Amino acid sequence: MISQSEKHETLLNRLQEFQRRTKGEFPSWVVDLQKQSFERAAKLGFPTLKDEEWKYTNIQPIVERVYHFPPETKLREVTQLKQYVHSDDINIVLVNGSLAQDLSNLKKLPLGLKILTLQEAFKNNGIELQNIFKKYDIHQEGVFVALTKALAHNGVYIEITDKAIIEKVIHVVHVTSTTDTDIITTPYTMIKIGKSAEATILESYLGFNPEVIYFTNALTDILIHENTTLKYCKAQSECLKSYHIGATRVWQERDSNFLGFSLMVGGEITRNNLDVVLNGKGASAILNGLYCVNGTQLVDNHTLVDHRQPNCTSNQLYKGILNGSSRGVFNGKIFVQPIAQKTNSYQLNKNLLLGKESQVNTKPQLEIEADDVKCTHGATIGQLNEDEIFYLQSRAIAHKDAIRMLSHGFVDDILSTIQNQTICQKLNLLLEPTFAAL
Amino acid sequence: MLQIKNLHAGINGVPIVKGVDLQINAGEVHAIMGPNGSGKSTLAKIIAGHPQYAVTQGEILYEVNFKKINVLELEPEERAREGIFMAFQYPVEVPGVSTSVFLRAAFNEICKHQGAEEMDPIEFDEYLRQKIKLLGMDEKFVNRAVNVDFSGGEKKRHEIVQMAVLNPRLAVLDETDSGLDIDSMKIVADGVNKLRRKDNAILVITHYQRLLNYIIPDFVHVLYEGTIVRSAGKELALQVEEQGYDWLAQ
Repeated sequence: MISQSEKHETLLNRLQEFQRRTKGEFPSWVVDLQKQSFERAAKLGFPTLKDEEWKYTNIQPIVERVYHFPPETKLREVTQLKQYVHSDDINIVLVNGSLAQDLSNLKKLPLGLKILTLQEAFKNNGIELQNIFKKYDIHQEGVFVALTKALAHNGVYIEITDKAIIEKVIHVVHVTSTTDTDIITTPYTMIKIGKSAEATILESYLGFNPEVIYFTNALTDILIHENTTLKYCKAQSECLKSYHIGATRVWQERDSNFLGFSLMVGGEITRNNLDVVLNGKGASAILNGLYCVNGTQLVDNHTLVDHRQPNCTSNQLYKGILNGSSRGVFNGKIFVQPIAQKTNSYQLNKNLLLGKESQVNTKPQLEIEADDVKCTHGATIGQLNEDEIFYLQSRAIAHKDAIRMLSHGFVDDILSTIQNQTICQKLNLLLEPTFAAL
Repeated sequence: MLQIKNLHAGINGVPIVKGVDLQINAGEVHAIMGPNGSGKSTLAKIIAGHPQYAVTQGEILYEVNFKKINVLELEPEERAREGIFMAFQYPVEVPGVSTSVFLRAAFNEICKHQGAEEMDPIEFDEYLRQKIKLLGMDEKFVNRAVNVDFSGGEKKRHEIVQMAVLNPRLAVLDETDSGLDIDSMKIVADGVNKLRRKDNAILVITHYQRLLNYIIPDFVHVLYEGTIVRSAGKELALQVEEQGYDWLAQ
């Protein structure tokens, strides 16, 4: 579908301008990739509500604006950032897409860990990067993934070598700091973890100026080799007027473990895709998520788990709290390929509607082509029970606090699945304002 | 301490309580007995402030520290802070909220309101453990979610643990004996008896007389079709046990 809208043309002009401007900066294979992705994006145009994948998420407010690249890369809200980013972790702070050396601590990295800006990696680690790119058919990619790839210049490449065990949390912080409105950033994170390694990575998307409208179009590609365990968390706490469209693509080889968690609290419109390909026998993936929104926020989580090999397991639990007139969307796809016998797959989406006007659309989508599999799915949408609230009130707890406590209770089990104290503390910090507003 | 005057109340326009008068003084234990559907539990819930019930007439006055409070004007949590406590017939499960967090929040709210010092988590845990032992419960309940995966008997005991922790001036025990075996009932009754003081009062609501063998009331009232048809001393409970309620209806 090709959108005829003028706005679409404007965006394409922007892309062309980018390509003119960055000519000569990138190796030729990168230029090719950008060009192909650009053509893909141009061919697709932007989806509308008629598109099955975007049925409940109207992105017109996002695509009808005209964006420009950030004019500067200075962080205005250093104090606020420091409440969240601690020197105990390995921090990679990207302000408006550019690495902020002074806020990061990339000196003295542990053995087996390599961290580069994407531009450095384009020059020095072309083979590794191309290996990741090759996993995905460019002609199958969605418009927003294509867009980030077409604009691939800002981001980070993380490589963990075979058998390396990285104890500290690797924290990638994407922060948009601007007083200008209509800024676009397209952060691209690429992660490669070797065989029999272990690491914990947190990616945070933040903004601190509640007045500006900006657009983060993020992409993260993760390649996990045999026997490796990755704990990965994406925490999205963008400004309330901003837009976030993100995709995380995980490729798993034999006997690897992915323990994923997504927290979505910020943004006016958020779309988060998490796609996992279980490409080796015995691989297992956990996709847990929590979204808490209020006001007129819209949060849309799409997951896709593709069981391509036998004996793999996937477990999904997504929970949402929707207050005010906010809206939530959950769509969970599970594909089980004919060869993927002994697949074990579980999916559950639970929602708590606190707002009178809030609503949720939830949809499981299972396509099972193997016969010896165990797949279950479920979804619930509920409200707080009057008797529960009264019980707490009868114990001297105010109505508002009772709602807060019960909502905390609702999310408690999912937060306890994050097996990392540091990350758990950070997520609680991001959740604080949300709970205070309940 | 508590004065209920000509109370009429109902749910969804259906009258349940039809003119109840009751006076409870400090240091007294009152029992309300009555057949199913007589309005016993409704009365308890109205005292605690359940939002489902609408009071159509009458008043509930509560006197504490020389101030008179019109109970019906207060939110449920405000009543609790003034020292009114209800042990639930069906205690509610609160998944994800640990018993110690829940009860400490409750305890500190009451302390704050009454001008007493609040407790920090460590102090409170110790305090809570003492009360839990008093009711013969396992200490593991401290860290478990409120009432989740508790047996029926444990839930009922837990209500009395809460009573012990919150130290109310007026405790309303709504069918605390239902679902308890005889041993559990003795433990619960023993716990309640330990909490009896000169400056507090207890209202026991029960269907059967057997609890009143262990918690000896000063007064027994029979509630029938929404009104109190007979009030007397503890001997009335035995009479009801022997003769049922029908003779009182006439």
